[in-house]
Amino acid sequence: MAKKIIKLSFLIILVPLAVILGVVVFKDRSYAWVSLCVALFSLVPLFLTFERKDTNTTKLVILAVMIALSVAGRFLFSFIPHFKPVTAMVVITGIYMGYEYGFICGAFTALISNFIFGQGPWTPFQMFAWGLIGLLAGLLAKILQKNIIILLIFGALAGVLFSFLMDVWTTFWYDGTLNFSRFIANIVTAIPVTITYAVSNVVFLFVLIKPIGKKLERIKIKYGL
Amino acid sequence: MEILSIKDLTFSYPNKENFALQNVNLSINSGDFVVVCGQSGSGKTTLLRMLKKEIAPHGEKQGAVFYKGEDVEKLDDKISAQKIGFVFQKPDQQIVTDKVWHELAFGLESLGYDSDYIRLRVGEMANYFGITSLFRKKTTELSGGQKQLMNLASVMAMSPDVIILDEPTSQLDPITANDFITTLKKINDELGLTVIIIEHRLQEVFPIADKVAVMEDGKVICYDTPRNVCEKLSNHPMSQGFPSAVRIWQKSGGKGECPLTVKEGRNFINLNFSERKLPLRNTIPNTEDIITLKDVFFRYEKGGNDILSGTNLSIKKGEHFCILGGNGSGKTTTLKILAGLLKPYRGKVIIDNNKMTKKTTADFNRLGVAMLPQNPESVFLKSRVIDDYTELCKIKGIEKSAYEEKINSVAEKLGIKDLLENHPYDLSGGEIQKCALGKVLISEPKILLLDEPTKGVDAYSKLSLSKILQEIRSDGVTIITVTHDVEFASIVADRCGLFFDGEVLSSLVPQEFFSKNNFYTTASSRISRDKFANAVTVDDVVSLIKEEQNG
Amino acid sequence: MLVVILWRKTMESNKLKSFATIHPAVLMVYFLSEIVISMFSTNPIILGVGLVGGLLFFLMIQDIKVFLKDLTFYIPMFLLITIINPLFSHNGVTPLFFMNGNPVTMEAIIYGMDIALMLMAVIYWCKCYSLIMTTDKFLYLFGKAIPKLSLVLSMALRFIPLFKEKLHEIRNVQSSIGLYDRKGFVNKITSELKVFSALITWSLENSVETASSMKARGYGLKGRTHFSMYKFRSRDLMYLLAIVIFFGIVIVGMAMGVTDFSFYPEISNFNFGISQIIVYISFALLSFIPFVSEVWEVIVWKYSVSKI
Ligand SMILES: Nc1ncnc2c1ncn2[C@@H]1O[C@H](COP(=O)(O)OP(=O)(O)OP(=O)(O)O)[C@@H](O)[C@H]1O
Ligand SMILES: Nc1ncnc2c1ncn2[C@@H]1O[C@H](COP(=O)(O)OP(=O)(O)OP(=O)(O)O)[C@@H](O)[C@H]1O
Ligand SMILES: [Mg+2]
Ligand SMILES: [Mg+2]
Repeated sequence: MAKKIIKLSFLIILVPLAVILGVVVFKDRSYAWVSLCVALFSLVPLFLTFERKDTNTTKLVILAVMIALSVAGRFLFSFIPHFKPVTAMVVITGIYMGYEYGFICGAFTALISNFIFGQGPWTPFQMFAWGLIGLLAGLLAKILQKNIIILLIFGALAGVLFSFLMDVWTTFWYDGTLNFSRFIANIVTAIPVTITYAVSNVVFLFVLIKPIGKKLERIKIKYGL
Repeated sequence: MEILSIKDLTFSYPNKENFALQNVNLSINSGDFVVVCGQSGSGKTTLLRMLKKEIAPHGEKQGAVFYKGEDVEKLDDKISAQKIGFVFQKPDQQIVTDKVWHELAFGLESLGYDSDYIRLRVGEMANYFGITSLFRKKTTELSGGQKQLMNLASVMAMSPDVIILDEPTSQLDPITANDFITTLKKINDELGLTVIIIEHRLQEVFPIADKVAVMEDGKVICYDTPRNVCEKLSNHPMSQGFPSAVRIWQKSGGKGECPLTVKEGRNFINLNFSERKLPLRNTIPNTEDIITLKDVFFRYEKGGNDILSGTNLSIKKGEHFCILGGNGSGKTTTLKILAGLLKPYRGKVIIDNNKMTKKTTADFNRLGVAMLPQNPESVFLKSRVIDDYTELCKIKGIEKSAYEEKINSVAEKLGIKDLLENHPYDLSGGEIQKCALGKVLISEPKILLLDEPTKGVDAYSKLSLSKILQEIRSDGVTIITVTHDVEFASIVADRCGLFFDGEVLSSLVPQEFFSKNNFYTTASSRISRDKFANAVTVDDVVSLIKEEQNG
Repeated sequence: MLVVILWRKTMESNKLKSFATIHPAVLMVYFLSEIVISMFSTNPIILGVGLVGGLLFFLMIQDIKVFLKDLTFYIPMFLLITIINPLFSHNGVTPLFFMNGNPVTMEAIIYGMDIALMLMAVIYWCKCYSLIMTTDKFLYLFGKAIPKLSLVLSMALRFIPLFKEKLHEIRNVQSSIGLYDRKGFVNKITSELKVFSALITWSLENSVETASSMKARGYGLKGRTHFSMYKFRSRDLMYLLAIVIFFGIVIVGMAMGVTDFSFYPEISNFNFGISQIIVYISFALLSFIPFVSEVWEVIVWKYSVSKI
């Protein structure tokens, strides 16, 4: 218990402290600092609750498989830029395994992708953005499972959301503040990519959601999970 | 002292009517080396998994298993994890982490040991199994044999009392497999560990086993010393898999003590028979070459080693050619070049008088080339075997009305009619091998490339497979088989070649090929070579014995 | 004794650059401090020093060919960022010319250069980070805090190359029995989807076996420990102290406004008072630690060889 309190106070005190200190130190660029802190520290509580939960070993392995599948999927469709099953896999994980798994799947997919394609200051932000999509998919699982149209709309929006979050971050990073004209320019130049994201999410969700559901169901019966 | 005992164990899988295990009773003594054998699907894997509660299959169970007198289900978690080690059938499935050192330490971490102790154990194991040079490698970079050694080492690091292995040598070349078995024997002798091993290739394990359990339809039909098992089951289909010495002795109506090892078999021949010679059997068809490789060079990476370096190979139309060779020597690579999946950077590939060097896989396929891969699961895309078959029929342009007939005739030939409705991943190792072959046969190949078709297949099914292949061959299909199974090659091949150092050496008829080799050869040849020339299969030896006995 | 001998024997196979062999925790602190300062500073001297340090480090651990090829990409990028900035920012008091009625100011161009400098410094430090902080070091660092998740990560890292290989295999096998000649765009996508679906089946079915293998080796028992290959040595402590001290000086300096530098409306002048010089030198020392340590290692090695 005492340990828990120490850990908690650690979070409660240290996080704001880091933010305030950062703002004092990096005056001009404090927006970038705060946004990075928000992204990083939003990962912490979800990671910790996941750690503390009693999880089934098989579910843990399946989570690793889903993460690896979404990263491997990037290579399979490397012949079309930005057209990737990643977000679809994250959403599917969220829907079938719950929001915590969705979040971890998204965050780790980003982390591992960057191990392969190069880490950068964008890593925490990508982890946050993809994690958030998985988390939302998990929370809305009931609705999304019921109606394929809503699911596809969700997929398209997820693509837009991801693109939007990354644009916000890029703007902060460049200017240290939300320079509006640069923000608009970023969004406009990213439109083709955003559209490809949205389309690929819709396509992959449409194709994959049912088969993966069936496959997971089969395993549940076969091994009595 | 009894260490494990199985009492009246009955088990069935969910949604399955028949029992996977029926009334099994078995008692295993501490320090014994026990071999479990039996046909594909007889319940070997199911039985041994029941010995360890963490991996016991899910289903309906009666009876119980006791470890040192205690029901394994009620055994302390830690003791169960530590004291009963299990090495899985497929090496890739057992591996959890991405680094070799972490894999070795994995079990010890679970048991809660501190870093210094783990360091000592892991270092010791790496040394004992001779894998120190792999220590910092990624697990995906290891060859099949190395993976299997690592898996054994990672289980041994936990210092178990009992170690259970499920077909650990199925992917290893004969020499590596022998080394592996020798290592097991060493562990058994030196550390007094109880070893329980499932095997189809009984040649090496029978002589060193203390006890053999033979399974059939979920029952243990015989549990005795190897010699007694051979005597009791001399007329059973299982006897097809017994060591060659035993089979030669049985088939020639031997009397007295049954020989078990190659040495005993040799003594039996040397003492009882005079020198004889079998005329060379030449079954190579007298046709033109259908496949030619000319000075072919291939490597996977630009700066890497040549896997094929100046390979030459010519294969006659309608012949069955077997390629043997060590793990990682490049046999699969050669087959892939023949299937058009890989392109050599120098040299010519000629099929049916067509220069194929620049052609695509589809072009190869149009000439009737089809390949059965080393891993049969990759053949299946659908959730029922039959769906895969129909899809292929559709793509091959077979008319809808003819689907059923086509599929039925193939299924009949392979004896897999009952399996068609199953999910490919619900099949046992031997069954999936046959179903995969079925899919390849539906495409009516003229040139059939088979990669390790007998892996995980029991002796009896192997015999029926060899008959099927002979039948296909007599229809004029050219077959090229890559295999580690020398006994199988000696029966089915028209010619055999040894793949070594990037080249196919000595393409000879089996009798000549195996008579010349000292290690890459059949047990029958090793047993009989002092007296009988050119006898390489059990039937060869028996026929010479019969000749002598009849006058 | 036995422990030491066995361990040495096992370790012999691998030799790394001296800086890469520092304890991962120290490495992490180092990279973070270097990246944080470069990322959130606007002072051109700090950024310049950071970039030079990053480039030097990168050059030490990479082939010169890769290094040069990289430059051919980053130099144009540098110029591009510089000239684009005035389009978004019309602040500044020194207009050079007008475009579409908007002034293009000298301050905006200089600020663009500053941003480009910052981006490059951060990117090069991240590149070095990616090369030095390999996945096993990363896993080690987080393995204690988040053991379950780091295992998930470790498994995923093992699965990815495995799956890639499997994808390739499935595709190959299917085309060698005559499916999917993959001509045409739509055809290609649909057949790749089927291959992907087959991979999903394969991996999910196999995952259960992997889970069994973990349970069979006691995963899930209480009191799991965390084994690693790293030890914290006195050398690591020295590095850590040096890093913390230099980093501390720079941060305090930045907080006190010693290195403040603004571009709008007017570009400020560089001050070189005693406090500025201390901060700049501290940051230079911080940035050149890998370089110095590598050179030091070489000298020591040469010296010890010449004595033999
Ligand atoms: N998970 C499962 N669900 C349903 N049936 C199964 C399952 N695993 C095995 N079976 C069936 O149970 C029987 C025994 O299977 P088992 O795997 O024990 O055979 P085996 O003797 O190990 O065969 P092989 O030598 O081919 O590995 C087979 O008929 C098989 O089809
Ligand atoms: N995709 C690949 N990339 C790089 N190297 C490879 C690849 N596939 C195989 N190799 C290497 O090529 C060599 C030959 O491999 P191949 O699979 O042909 O061996 P093999 O004779 O079939 O072995 P086994 O009997 O174990 O199946 C091996 O050393 C292997 O490590
Ligand atoms: Mg089995
Ligand atoms: Mg092979």
